[in-house]
Amino acid sequence: MDFAPVIDGFGVVLQPENLLYCLIGVTVGMLIGVLPGLGPAATVAILLPITLTVEPVTAIIMLAGIFYGAQYGGTITSVLLRLPGEASSVVTVFDGYAMARQGRAGAALGIAAIGSFVGGTLAIIGLTFFAPLVASFALDFGPPEYTILALLGILLVASVGSGTLVKALIAAAIGLLLATIGRDSFTGSERFTFGILQLSDALDFVPIAMGVFGLGEILYNLEDRNNNTKAPTKVTKVLPSKAELKQSSGAIGRGSVIGFFLGILPGGGAVLSSLAAYAYEKKRSKNPERFGQGAIEGVAAPESANNAAATSSFIPLLTLGIPANATIAVIYGALLIQGVTPGPQLVEDHPDIFWGVVNSMYIGNVFLLIMSIPLIGLFVKILQVRAAILAPITVLITLIGAYTINNSVFDIFLVCLFGAIGYLMKKVGLEPGPLVLAFVLGVLLESSLRRSLILFGGDPTGFLGRPISGTLVAILVAVIAFPLIAKLWKSKSKQKELV
Amino acid sequence: MTTSPTRRLKALAGVAVLALGLSACGGGNLGSDDSGENFPDGAINLTVGQDPGGSTDLIARALAGPVSDDLGVEVPVLNRPGANGALAAKELASKSPNGQELMVMNLSLVAITSLTVPEDDAVDLDDYTVITGISEDDYVLVSNSGSGLETIDDLKAAGSVDYATTGTGTGSQLSSALLFKLAEIDGTAVPFDGGSPALTAVLGNQVDVASIQLGEAVPQIEAGTITPIVTFAADRNEFLDDVPTAVEEGYDVEVAQARAIVGPKDMSDDVVKELRDAFTKAFETKDYQAFNEKNLLRPQELDGAELTEAWNQSIETYRQLTEEQGIDLGSSE
Repeated sequence: MDFAPVIDGFGVVLQPENLLYCLIGVTVGMLIGVLPGLGPAATVAILLPITLTVEPVTAIIMLAGIFYGAQYGGTITSVLLRLPGEASSVVTVFDGYAMARQGRAGAALGIAAIGSFVGGTLAIIGLTFFAPLVASFALDFGPPEYTILALLGILLVASVGSGTLVKALIAAAIGLLLATIGRDSFTGSERFTFGILQLSDALDFVPIAMGVFGLGEILYNLEDRNNNTKAPTKVTKVLPSKAELKQSSGAIGRGSVIGFFLGILPGGGAVLSSLAAYAYEKKRSKNPERFGQGAIEGVAAPESANNAAATSSFIPLLTLGIPANATIAVIYGALLIQGVTPGPQLVEDHPDIFWGVVNSMYIGNVFLLIMSIPLIGLFVKILQVRAAILAPITVLITLIGAYTINNSVFDIFLVCLFGAIGYLMKKVGLEPGPLVLAFVLGVLLESSLRRSLILFGGDPTGFLGRPISGTLVAILVAVIAFPLIAKLWKSKSKQKELV
Repeated sequence: MTTSPTRRLKALAGVAVLALGLSACGGGNLGSDDSGENFPDGAINLTVGQDPGGSTDLIARALAGPVSDDLGVEVPVLNRPGANGALAAKELASKSPNGQELMVMNLSLVAITSLTVPEDDAVDLDDYTVITGISEDDYVLVSNSGSGLETIDDLKAAGSVDYATTGTGTGSQLSSALLFKLAEIDGTAVPFDGGSPALTAVLGNQVDVASIQLGEAVPQIEAGTITPIVTFAADRNEFLDDVPTAVEEGYDVEVAQARAIVGPKDMSDDVVKELRDAFTKAFETKDYQAFNEKNLLRPQELDGAELTEAWNQSIETYRQLTEEQGIDLGSSE
């Protein structure tokens, strides 16, 4: 491996402007991680227009910082208020809140910060070696491989969402339908455009993301305003004891590894990996009954895992141009706006962006460690800012931002429309994440499928004839079949019990 | 006291975003004087119908600076992407022809895209005033260097050929479809979204050849990973002087992307002349000429009448050729 571009990447990060934007990114990430409701996808979408004024690498360093910074911040409310700031911190609530009630809130937050730092840093090292490896055979990924990967991504994101499978699939289906709007790029014929010229070029991803994530979440959170009045527990000693550190070191290591590999999967990412890491720790523990009663491993493992996954989910984006989760999908949009197409050529054509972004994560994680240990008291204070002040400012920023991207009033209407859709979806329990990801992957799925069929002369068995796409088809079948078989097995053994 | 740092931070962020938004809204079209005596009256908006970062956008930005210096007013480049640039062109046609609203128009929009869309959506050059031509961007047919496909005869010998295009209604599609038809090669078009994915498909051996813009192909040609087969230009390109043109090989296919500065219809002659002079001065600057060389753009700095004639000829040729050869660009079959 040639390390010259990796070293040059550090040169990029250490430019004062990039350091500043990295600091801004992780601070904003930490802040919105603390605020329950507004997630990293929404924040990245809302702040997207600001990035137009800076260099591509600076923009992505900041947006990436928001993403992994939110993984740190999300822990704070899980532990103190039993309110997970992020979906990926849901499992942290079980033991984190229990620890806080035992007066060990400081230790829980401390171990979460250390675990996040270790998980994040290990994953960056993994990314440094693994991403160029993936990129080296990425050229073998043609339309057939992209077809199956896109399908896999949509299915996986649907199956790991926080709601039920059916609801996630409904949201994904809406996303797929929205992706069909616009002029058919193969035949030039119009689809669902109703003679509106703005629709002929397909719906733009950015107003959809800003609408369903940004505006939709703000509207929905306004309903919640009265529930947010619990006073945070006092945080005293933030550093965990030596015994606690020793107890959780294994969990941090295992969580990091699980997080790293699950994060790479399209559709996987932070939520799935934190669940898996928690479940694994509980399973291998000699006394699993401690979990849920304030076991420090129950905080350490998922927090290490979600940070490792947030980092490794950049691998499919930077090497194949496939966004692994909704936030990465918005970052994908940011790269496109900057005129950079993420894909196999990125590491060669734009090594400064590739290594600049990767290496900025080391610095960002150090910033976050500093913020989450000595400065934690400051971030806890954020919980006292009232929604009535925050919400209107955020809406204004969203709408101005939506206009500035394409100088288009039509986009403002789109954001409002999708804001209403996002709000209604939340009301009926549909997550916007699968919709947005299915929209992005749907465009890829359709064009890759049709390209594949042209290449195969119309024969769908062609997918099985190529080594990589054949393997991916096998994984796809396993992903669909495994839960079904497990369910059948369960209901059979239940029947036996009844008999 | 303890809450103030966060509050202040938030307030600052809000103000910054507001300022950003307002500055983007500024520079609007304040003057309504069509006579041209007060021209220029405030900022001149230069609209680009493509995303930032593409070749059209880069050209607009390379010109905007020197034109702004010469006329003494701001020349902001506004990106208004959509429908191959048709969205921006339709908006421009309805603006006042006072010279404050201009656009960089692509030949492919009026000559090729118009062959693939319903008549109402087609953009007609007659609805605009042409200020000046800018430059031409050649297409080149490339193969993967490992494939051994180096000449048109190799392609004929290969039996059937899969070729990537940069999209429906592009010069890439037209040039390769025409060449394969005339050379009687059994070719299957696989449309991709732009030059970079089409190039990646050739590099990964997903397709056999692709027609892409020369500027996009050069880094890989220099690296030796792809082999240029023919260019679709009128003359051999300086950079690739050993690569024949399709015409030299006996196939009458001449397709290039050309760009021009246009305004709404019926602009006054004085304003057109003043703008044309400003652009001509911009063409003569060293920085701009270096930009052309770096991106392998061939200057085509014709005046309005010459350019209109040249483009109308291309429009007519493309229409005739596709009709004669029975090529339907609106379908991949």
